[in-house]
Amino acid sequence: MTAAATAAGPASRRSPARLGAGAIVCLVLALFPVVITDPASTSIAFYALVFMVAASSWNIFSGYTGYLALGHAVFFGSGGYALSLLCSHLGVGGGWPSFLLLPLCGVIAALIAVPVGLVALRTRRHTFVVVTIAIFFIFQLAATNVGFTGGTSGLFLPLAPWTGSSFNTPFYYVALAVLVVTVGCSWFVRRSRFGLQLLAVRDDEDRALGLGVKTWRLKLSAFMLSAFFVGMIGGLYFDFIGQVYPQTAFDPLFDLSIALMAFFGGMGTIAGPLLGAAVLESLQQYVTFTFSNAAIYLIAYGVLFLVVILLMPRGVVPAVTDYLNRRRTRATATGGPPERLAGVAQVTP
Amino acid sequence: MIDGILTGGVYALMAAGLTLIFGVMDIINIAQGVMVILGSYLSFELSVHAGIGLLPGLLITVPVMFCLGVAIEFCFMRRLHDQDRTQMSILVTYAVAIVIEGILTAIYGVDYRQLSASYVNSSVHMLGFYLPDIYLIGFGLAVALLIGLYYMLYRTQFGRAVRASLQNRTAADLIGIDVNRVRMISVGIGVAVTAVGGMVYGATNAFNPNTGYDLISRLLAIVVLGGMGSIAGAMGAAVFILVINDVVAVWWSPTWAPLVYFVALVIVLSVRPQGLFGHAAVRAQ
Amino acid sequence: MTNLIEVSAVVKSYGGIRALNSCDLEVREGEINGLIGPNGSGKTTLFNVITGYERAQAGRIALRGGDITNSSPDRVFGLGIGRTFQLTRMFPRLTVLENMLVATQRQEGWLRSITRLAGSDSERSRALELLEFVGITRLAHEPAANLSYGQRKLLELASLLVADPDILLLDEPAGGVNPTLINHLADRIQELNAQGKTILVVEHNMEFVMGICSRITVLSQGSTLVAGAPAEVRTNPAVLEAYLGADEHEPAGGGAATVAVISEPPRTSREPVAAAAAPDAAAAAASSGEPLLRLAGVCAGYGGADILKDVSIEVARGGITCVVGPNGAGKSTVMKTISGLLRPRAGEIRFRGELVSGLAPKQVLSRGIAQIPQAHSLFPDMTVQENVEMGAYSVHDGALTRKRLAAVQELYPIVRDRAHDKAGSLSGGQQRLVEFARCLMLDPELIMLDEPSMGLDPQTRAMVFEMVAEMNRQGRTILLVEQNARAGLRLSTHGVVLENGRVRLTGSGHEVLTHPEIGALYLGGAVAAATA
Repeated sequence: MTAAATAAGPASRRSPARLGAGAIVCLVLALFPVVITDPASTSIAFYALVFMVAASSWNIFSGYTGYLALGHAVFFGSGGYALSLLCSHLGVGGGWPSFLLLPLCGVIAALIAVPVGLVALRTRRHTFVVVTIAIFFIFQLAATNVGFTGGTSGLFLPLAPWTGSSFNTPFYYVALAVLVVTVGCSWFVRRSRFGLQLLAVRDDEDRALGLGVKTWRLKLSAFMLSAFFVGMIGGLYFDFIGQVYPQTAFDPLFDLSIALMAFFGGMGTIAGPLLGAAVLESLQQYVTFTFSNAAIYLIAYGVLFLVVILLMPRGVVPAVTDYLNRRRTRATATGGPPERLAGVAQVTP
Repeated sequence: MIDGILTGGVYALMAAGLTLIFGVMDIINIAQGVMVILGSYLSFELSVHAGIGLLPGLLITVPVMFCLGVAIEFCFMRRLHDQDRTQMSILVTYAVAIVIEGILTAIYGVDYRQLSASYVNSSVHMLGFYLPDIYLIGFGLAVALLIGLYYMLYRTQFGRAVRASLQNRTAADLIGIDVNRVRMISVGIGVAVTAVGGMVYGATNAFNPNTGYDLISRLLAIVVLGGMGSIAGAMGAAVFILVINDVVAVWWSPTWAPLVYFVALVIVLSVRPQGLFGHAAVRAQ
Repeated sequence: MTNLIEVSAVVKSYGGIRALNSCDLEVREGEINGLIGPNGSGKTTLFNVITGYERAQAGRIALRGGDITNSSPDRVFGLGIGRTFQLTRMFPRLTVLENMLVATQRQEGWLRSITRLAGSDSERSRALELLEFVGITRLAHEPAANLSYGQRKLLELASLLVADPDILLLDEPAGGVNPTLINHLADRIQELNAQGKTILVVEHNMEFVMGICSRITVLSQGSTLVAGAPAEVRTNPAVLEAYLGADEHEPAGGGAATVAVISEPPRTSREPVAAAAAPDAAAAAASSGEPLLRLAGVCAGYGGADILKDVSIEVARGGITCVVGPNGAGKSTVMKTISGLLRPRAGEIRFRGELVSGLAPKQVLSRGIAQIPQAHSLFPDMTVQENVEMGAYSVHDGALTRKRLAAVQELYPIVRDRAHDKAGSLSGGQQRLVEFARCLMLDPELIMLDEPSMGLDPQTRAMVFEMVAEMNRQGRTILLVEQNARAGLRLSTHGVVLENGRVRLTGSGHEVLTHPEIGALYLGGAVAAATA
């Protein structure tokens, strides 16, 4: 077996079918608001995009490192508050000007991630989860009590100048732009050395350390990166709504939702969180509109998740990929080679 | 401050259930908070619609919650694989919590309720303090149950089976312990205590289906602070946290109080990740 | 000659236990240094301290004169020291090739590592070269979790080499691995040494160590006993005492025999010749009559794949039957199937003529079959007495339990002496005794032992085998699975060789032991000693 052949790896990743499907999805996303113009649908689409970004960037940290962070609402809400404060202090108006400040919101969220990360990342596994939850509640309580965040009534964001049915469209496209950047980054990370090290940390952190991986720096970087995108899209989300206050900014259901979405689609994959967010968020919005009963959507959400976790424990995307792979290789599959041969056959030069 | 100790006792009981489930199953039951609320609603239902008093009502609610715990273990917890088990359990039980919350919201709506009985508003005058009867009763119940729990674990054959199953599953199997049954019953017990907690909590606080979040965050803080898997730790941490909560509420401001104990939790965990009384080592199976 | 690594007066304690007690070690450039010592002497702890996984409370560790005491593991690796672990570790969800690439970066900027793809072409080809070097190239794109135990060991070694460390610390590279692979490993290690790498090896396998090391350091109870050439160390009386304990275990004959004792798995204290003869006689007696346990055509496995393929074994009443074979042969699976932890897909298992295949463990237990699984089967946080009493969990007769407890205390005084100590605090050999005691509480007719000598040093191993023989003398039938085939078969009346899930050979213990085909592959310690 030549080195070249073995270096090539499985070709299935770049199959034409997959590229074709990807292209179709991109086309749909790009043209959606042009084709479907009613505000209700475009709102749902916008929310779906927001969660796709949030779930994807959550995945950049939690999916790749295996550390379940259940406090990301901290960054989402901070993005919203940041935008509001920036707009009022810099005298920036609504609409396109406020969009220009979005990257700054992301940076602010990433900066907040530094102290949070320094505290939380000292712990492992389930202790880490609890610490992120605790930090989340600290932020929620602080926002309610501290002056400059406007207490329980929160702060306002400048109103965008568009009206009527075209109000949603710019928001939609900006969200789409953020999504493209987020997914691109997620893809880059996955293919990069950085991503490989993250995955190594997920599998065996101590051993990774022993192989020279600077795990501390690595985890904090991934955490900050993840916070950046969530902060950015948080700013956009609250810009759309027009108001940010503690209950909505720091909502425990948000924390769980993005985790569930990433999980549903497949943690650690790129398409997984996108699929999960698209499906679950649209479902939630649709149910809320049609039934206007919070209880039913809660039950449906929980039940759906339980079903997925029991039947497809690694998420939908990996389960489907596995199924397709198995069908493809069924003809050529053989049992594992006897252990003896593996050690002996290669030995004779 | 005495209030703190008394309510601490009740929180300790609920936290003990949570930590027992973790100890035996390596599972963090996020639904514990909403189950307490479920217990409150059950007591509510019995007292308002069936005319059964709060204390006698426990004779019904406790077995019901026990069965619920058993059912959840059988349906969901058993399916979790050993890899990443604890983290998966967080997601699963969170989902279960959402479902329960949804069901309660559908039935009762979002209005706040509170349990009432003759002794809820009366209090005993002791040592210069007014101690509300209900706190005393709750505390007494909690202590009694905790002692019972301790006794079960360390003095009975079943208790030994529980401890054995958690320390080495394979060996327990080979000794003839029915590990599945042991786990099921342990989870049942862990959940059954929420019935008691629910009654006391419901009598002393207004509640609605959403209150579960607040509760579970406190219970988690207690359990992690005390060390996951350590019942003694949960008890100690519960009292510690609630005393701090009370002290801060009185000296500083009631709204800041819960904040302080999350901060305390974060500080303790950064310095000592296994909690005050927990084991640092990972259990070998 | 300057020392490459110098460890001086290192102290490391856990609670009250001093794992390293003013320990010294010198590793010279270009040598292969073997670190040996009885169980609990602190070998792995020393590795952990050198590589930064644990902090030393006192002492100094120097690399080429520079202080590296208590550095973090990634810094130690960056300085050129790589290590393997006793329990092989790799990244199971990554492919073999990806496993190799994790260590390729040394000091690199954050931004660059995000934008660069994982593994440049030159790194990949180097990784593949190394996979070729250890012999697992064709597995390059397999998830590491699919590898067999031996293959994982090779991967672990290879993934260190990618970063071209100058120094390798290998923790029990030959542990739990079949003899052919041991040869291969020894060969690769010597090749690496020839390339200029300095190697420090921890091992229990004496032949392996004596065969490849130029110097040996002996650790005992946390400090260095002696360091020198293999021949010196082998005949040093202090070393022999550390391993073997007091004089009564030394067979008559002094000098030459003491050399033999330390380079081969030790025999029990009985005369070697008699051991061959007596089991044969017992075998003859035992094989007449119905076998106590019979497996017929058993197929069993996990998920889709069968590990046991059409296995038929007979265990004679009153005898000791030993099952041997290489890694992955299915030895432990046989035990799991008998005791009910695993359900056979086909075939049947009969005990005393009664069908037991498919029963739950509890039911199998009540029929009189007890199993002592591989190491660590006690309940660590419960006391010794509680552990032993748990053995009688399924016995509901209190008086009977007490009677048995008394009998067991007679047989194993440790049960009485350390009744209230936590079982987790006992040494490996002591835990094994408690496990036997616990097992006997059931008064089983058939006792199944899964690798009772695993992880024990030669002295303790001899004691354990003696205990097994004693249980047999009391009339119990024993089914034994052993990696150390020579020691196991020597003890047994019957032998069964399992290979890749099939039975290859059966016969009396002596027959199997001396069978020419078996000798080459399945017996422990096949590496030819370089000296005498």
